[in-house]
Amino acid sequence: MKILVCLKQVPHKDARLEIGSDGTWIKEDGIKFEINDYDNYALEEALRLKDAGEAEVVVATIGPDRVTQSLRTALGMGADRAIHVWDDSLANADSLGIAKVLAAVAKEENFDVVFCGLMSDDSNYAMVGPMLAQLLDIPHVTAVVKTDFENGAVKVEKELEGGTLEVSQVPLPCLLAVQTGINEVRYASLKGIMQAKKKPLDKKALSDIGLDGAAVAPKLSIEKIYTPPKGEGANLLSGSADEIATQMVGKIKELGLL
Amino acid sequence: MRFAFTEDQQLLQQTVHEFLQAECTAERVRGFWATETGRSPELWSQLAEMGVTGLLVPEEFGGLGMNDIDMVLLMEEVGRAGLAEPLISTAAIAAPLIRDLDNAELSRAWLPRIAAGEAIIAVAHTCNAFVSDAHIADLILVRHPQGDEIHGLVRDQCALTAEPANDPARRIFSMDWTPKPLTRIAESGRARRLWADVLSRGALATAAQQLGVTAKLIDLAVAYATERKQFGSPIGSFQAVKHHLANVRVQLEYAQPLVYRAAHSVATRAPARATDVSMAKSAASEAAAAAAKVSLQVHGAIGYTWEQDVHVWMRRAWSLGLAWGSAAWHRERIANAVLDQNAPAESFGYGASIA
Repeated sequence: MKILVCLKQVPHKDARLEIGSDGTWIKEDGIKFEINDYDNYALEEALRLKDAGEAEVVVATIGPDRVTQSLRTALGMGADRAIHVWDDSLANADSLGIAKVLAAVAKEENFDVVFCGLMSDDSNYAMVGPMLAQLLDIPHVTAVVKTDFENGAVKVEKELEGGTLEVSQVPLPCLLAVQTGINEVRYASLKGIMQAKKKPLDKKALSDIGLDGAAVAPKLSIEKIYTPPKGEGANLLSGSADEIATQMVGKIKELGLL
Repeated sequence: MRFAFTEDQQLLQQTVHEFLQAECTAERVRGFWATETGRSPELWSQLAEMGVTGLLVPEEFGGLGMNDIDMVLLMEEVGRAGLAEPLISTAAIAAPLIRDLDNAELSRAWLPRIAAGEAIIAVAHTCNAFVSDAHIADLILVRHPQGDEIHGLVRDQCALTAEPANDPARRIFSMDWTPKPLTRIAESGRARRLWADVLSRGALATAAQQLGVTAKLIDLAVAYATERKQFGSPIGSFQAVKHHLANVRVQLEYAQPLVYRAAHSVATRAPARATDVSMAKSAASEAAAAAAKVSLQVHGAIGYTWEQDVHVWMRRAWSLGLAWGSAAWHRERIANAVLDQNAPAESFGYGASIA
């Protein structure tokens, strides 16, 4: 089985974030980055398939030079090889642009399964997975919380609202966008990281995968990001429970909410 | 020449950092205090699986075959996590000592077990009043005081008496033993040289842990000073508070390069390694002691409570300050090297012709 895991490098969860001078993204200088948490679970799910039998796990990511560290970590965890795509025209790529690049990478090889995280910790769009599946013309399931591969298909449990689960049978090849908590993510071992230096890490430009800047030009642009201002005028109600309830009902009526 | 850690070394550090952040929380560290041994076999096993215990074990014996420079960043993380597992004695001292003995039988017997996390080794050195972790040690390395001999004892070859410690993470013991030919693993000049390396590696690894402890104590104090308000402002905005913290940060910044330099000296067997290690240990001890004092002061009365985590690292700062030579002990060693009438220059890595 040949598995592609799509990774994204995002700001470290402990990084102190500041909005950049143009107001459309954060300042990336001087902060640490890490593998998107959802993607860690996707990688772990792929590595478990590898541990269970014959499987090759390929990780792919898009980003500037700093992303090689995340690829090295993934190789240290057990992935077999890595693909790194970058072009300056991808700096402002939207979800569709990213999906097009990953689709071009995936089409170069016949992957049985494409794993990705449900969404990214930084932009939260949750669109790349479904878009990538559409571009590859393969079925997909999002919010995957359990997989069971058997006889060229996978039985998948998908998380719905309120703790309900949806079970479906999906033929391979397919794309699975994984929810956090599906498994317990392993740590990269120091030995694995040292051995990772010997594993292939292919750097590709857009032209290497048959694309150019125009093909991945963003259709969506961010106008601004900002921290919502703190609300003002909060009223603290005091008194017994009955008194507070009476005051609250009065307030709700006063505001015309009832 | 590149005076910085490589990307690989930084990635190894980050990997251990993230592992310890997740698996070695303050709550878990406190939990270890209440156990009979004070240690966590589960965490030790995870550290071994990750490769930490076998970092200095040669690859042919299942280790990573790396050096003291690689080790120093990991020890910094161990200190930052407040972890008191016997990594200094087992991974930083015993593994390279056994490796350097060139004794095939001993190497085969112990090095694979160290790498696999199946052996814990304690070291009894005269610069420490007591032996840490002797109660769980599979082997205790000790120098015979009346002769240039290193001995390796299993637990039933010595009598241990538990001693009180102000750091609940520590388990310390006084030890009675009698040297026997069977337990001797090195002698004469070779034993003398190897035992000098034991001190260098013990003090170096401790100094590296002190860097992590210092950084953590600063982080705790800064977090509290940012959150705690007085007169309508966070207390960290007042000069009387932030200047103290800045001073400790400066001490940490000065101690760090000394520790890294010492690691390079030990790894490359530089002639000045003993004085380099002493400079590192004295600076790191003083930085950690200052961090403990200032962090407690910034926390105010609440810093004295059991619930606040500051005492977890404060006690580590105190106990590591005394381990493998206090700041004063190491300063005296530096002074002796400076004032040595016979070979002052050699003590600092300069040849006679240069002097």
